[in-house]
Amino acid sequence: MLEAVVVIIAPIIGGLIYGFERVVCARMQNRQGPPLLQPFYDMGKLIDKQALIINPYHSILGIMHFVTLWVVVAFIILGQNLLYVIFLHLLSSIFLILAGFSVKSIFSHIGANRELMSVIAYEPILIMLAVGFYLINGSFDISVIRDNPPQILQLFFLFLAFLMVIQIKLKKSPFDATEAHQEIVGGVEIEFSGVFFEFLYMAKWLEYVFVYLLLSLFAGDNLALGFGLFIGVFFLVNLVDNATARIKINHLIKIVLMIGLTFGMLNLVGLSYV
Amino acid sequence: MLTPIVLIASPLFFALLVRVGGVMVRNVVAILSVFILMGLSVVNFFSLPNTLEISIPHQSHYIFLFIDSVLLLYFLWQGFIKKHKLVMLFALVQIILYSIVIYLSPTLISNDILVDKISSVMYLIINIVGGVIIIYALGYIEEENFSRCKKNKFIAMLFFFLSIMNFIVSTNNIEIFFLLFELTTLCSYLLIAYREDEVSVQNSLKALWMNQIGGVAILLALIVSIVQYDTLYFDILISNIDESYLLPISLLAIAAFVKGASIPFDKWLLGAMVAPTPVSAILHSATMVKIAPYLMLKLAPAMSGFVSVTITLIGTFVFFSASLLALSKDYFKEILGLSTIALLGLMMALATIGSEEATKACLVLIVFHAISKALLFLQAGILEKVNHLKYIDDINGLINHSPLVVFFIVIGFASLSLPPFGAFIAKFMAIESIANEITANPIYVLALIFIALGSVFLTLLYFKVVTKLFAKDVNSSKEEHQEIPKLYTIPSFLLLIFLVIGIYISLEMELLSNSEIIVPFVLIAVVPLLFATLVFKKAHRVKEYHCGEKDELQLSMYYFDIPEVYEKAIGGVGVVAMVLLVVGVIVK
Amino acid sequence: MFNLKKYRKRSPWILHYNAGSCNGCDIEILASLSPKYDLERFGIINTGNPKQSDIFLVTGPVTYRSRERLIELYIQMPEPKVVVAVGSCSCTGGVFRGMYNVEDGVDRYIPVDVYISGCATSPELIIDGLVKGLEILEKKTKSMEKPSKLFKDTTSREGIVSRRESALRVGEERDEEN
Repeated sequence: MLEAVVVIIAPIIGGLIYGFERVVCARMQNRQGPPLLQPFYDMGKLIDKQALIINPYHSILGIMHFVTLWVVVAFIILGQNLLYVIFLHLLSSIFLILAGFSVKSIFSHIGANRELMSVIAYEPILIMLAVGFYLINGSFDISVIRDNPPQILQLFFLFLAFLMVIQIKLKKSPFDATEAHQEIVGGVEIEFSGVFFEFLYMAKWLEYVFVYLLLSLFAGDNLALGFGLFIGVFFLVNLVDNATARIKINHLIKIVLMIGLTFGMLNLVGLSYV
Repeated sequence: MLTPIVLIASPLFFALLVRVGGVMVRNVVAILSVFILMGLSVVNFFSLPNTLEISIPHQSHYIFLFIDSVLLLYFLWQGFIKKHKLVMLFALVQIILYSIVIYLSPTLISNDILVDKISSVMYLIINIVGGVIIIYALGYIEEENFSRCKKNKFIAMLFFFLSIMNFIVSTNNIEIFFLLFELTTLCSYLLIAYREDEVSVQNSLKALWMNQIGGVAILLALIVSIVQYDTLYFDILISNIDESYLLPISLLAIAAFVKGASIPFDKWLLGAMVAPTPVSAILHSATMVKIAPYLMLKLAPAMSGFVSVTITLIGTFVFFSASLLALSKDYFKEILGLSTIALLGLMMALATIGSEEATKACLVLIVFHAISKALLFLQAGILEKVNHLKYIDDINGLINHSPLVVFFIVIGFASLSLPPFGAFIAKFMAIESIANEITANPIYVLALIFIALGSVFLTLLYFKVVTKLFAKDVNSSKEEHQEIPKLYTIPSFLLLIFLVIGIYISLEMELLSNSEIIVPFVLIAVVPLLFATLVFKKAHRVKEYHCGEKDELQLSMYYFDIPEVYEKAIGGVGVVAMVLLVVGVIVK
Repeated sequence: MFNLKKYRKRSPWILHYNAGSCNGCDIEILASLSPKYDLERFGIINTGNPKQSDIFLVTGPVTYRSRERLIELYIQMPEPKVVVAVGSCSCTGGVFRGMYNVEDGVDRYIPVDVYISGCATSPELIIDGLVKGLEILEKKTKSMEKPSKLFKDTTSREGIVSRRESALRVGEERDEEN
């Protein structure tokens, strides 16, 4: 029952995390920053706007992206199969990419293309992460992973690789070439407006929930450690975001794949010997 | 009980029937025959006991001997008149080796025909998917400029091929297997060269000599098996196998790699794409190349240790590198061909792992791949014949005039990469079974990485093509839609139905829990549509944002440039791996 | 039912367009987004994308070359929207008034809601102007606002309003009349 409630309010939790992040980010830059509930104000405003669309496919694909992502988050909360969750998440990214390509807009195409490239970079790492959990727990089920003791030490290298995935997924510097707001005006999200943009906006919040839920898996059954990890990584991610500059998309793939695959391989080989 | 025999014999009869008569008569006869074959294979699947063994009278082996000798001489002759040294060389080598095989006489005898569950599944694929493609070919071949006799011969050859395929998946005798293997090579050779232009002939000769390497490998395996194990039957060989002497197994595996066009033998399959599209569909993606994973499945119980690890690694490596290479191609059929090679690599790797789950995954992948690839090749043919398109660079905004084709292409690609389709489930199970193996042998981590990267590349490849179709002009209207002949659309719809049945079966088998599959897809399909009906009427249509400029965007395709060095390196790794597979076994 | 109108005031996203300005006002706009003045505390984001914006900040006297883009961007903004003319040039043409290549202010082409004077204007004035604009934004309706020139009325097919061909190029308008 509790889980069902959490599933339903998942976007709200994500919105709060996003709002909090904007405050933290502002404070790091010595600004006051927007109020904590700012994302919800934005949402209220977006509902009230005149809806503009380019073509129906584009808007429907955007909504499908959101729905799929919500299902992904729900599956994690309900403790389903981790590998399946990761593939379903890939599906949601593909919907977004298709949406980006379904309009004849330069920025949208560039953004979708970069999104596609970033999928190459992080997807293998996520799969290896799932296999890492499998080797320790003997099962891909998230509920099993949650019942076992913390696994961050056994999976330390994969944890490091996962930190890079967080930067990509949350579009933080140095790995934010997919969105690149000043350069390609948000990439795929550029042609969405009003209510339709709201779905993308909420999908962004769900992305926060998704990565931080995956992060919490490292802590296993230890809630305190999970929370500590969340806070620590949250601040680290924002610090890195504010302290680094954006790198190009091809460098992103090279760096993330090289470091990520090396770390992942080390970790998995190590695990198989233990 | 005798359905396998009927399945083997009746296509030969049908092949004779379709040779005569005009278009109408031929079409009716062919469609009826196809439905008979489909029905038979289904009946066979449900009525067959676990295994069925039939022994062919010994005298008939002389017939096989005769056909085989004629065939090898024909290859030699073809090499001679086409002045192709490699074809001649391999034909000669085969003749010498084959005479050695005839000279040696093993004592351990078993049944010649052995039909088990895997064979029954293969019958289903061969007759149902193959049959649908034959129906499609009836329409396709009429668009070509050939004489009536030659057109009928084409259809007859396809039926003949079905017979060979039905036989090859039921034989237990390696010698007969060799004969049938060579006959598929012959079919491939004749059908690739069907158009008789220069490129076709060149590519058919390439296919011929490369496939003959497989024949040589089988013959060597036969000799070794007779000398070492005193038998030429699969079941005896597998049950008597000695773990320290796996040479016949690894040689047969090489034959499988040749037929499956694995790297470094991938060139022949890519060349084969010049053939008429039904040929590409039936031979080079849906059925014939499936001999490779089928053979691996058959041999899997005999594999262990070094051979098993090496073949798994080669398979996953092929999966990875073929999908990487496909990213730089722009010929639609070539892309399909490379992705076939990639998935065949994965199937072989899965078959080799041999755990129950991996075997299941392999079979699911074989079935779904056959259906989806057939569907995609049919669309490639439609694009070629109706829309006159061959390259993905030109398929811009196809949705404006051929929404049905776009729908099928999208379904085809989705069924190869996304849930709830079987290919996805198979990939899912592949990762699971490889994860299982890692605990035993850490080198499987490499296989895992290949699979992870390969599946991402394949998804990227599919959606790179799909995205291209989607760019819709808002102002397009229904009048621009292109008419597609019925003989083209009906086979596509049939395949679509099989795909749905496939999903239903995979749900029944509970490969994944049902709620995991059904719930998200209902949501993903329903919610946006509900929303769409509510809001879209009120929404204003606007232009794309072009910084306020009014210019239209010209779309083009993006390619991933893969340097030639990499291509060579991948080929080199393939050759080294094949050599290693043989040498490693001998040295051990 | 919620009153969604109150959220308009709390999350105005801006689109900044330079219609031939000398960059003086543009720098001031960016300065007001920087940590010292911190416009983000009102929830303001510089989106740079007309489709997600509520406030259209225009600087510059509108040169001939920039007219069509101005109209195009204005039409692509969803209602309710507010136009803020920043700096003397965009209010009246400023020092460029009467020159052969400028159009003497934004309001010849699109309806302006708030005028912010100054050459260059200051961040404090921009903030004041934006806050004033927010009050106007709250009262606006969702009915379509139209530019006064270079505009062909929206076409509607099967009940669907299309704004795709509404923005005209200079010269196209006259052809229509003939």
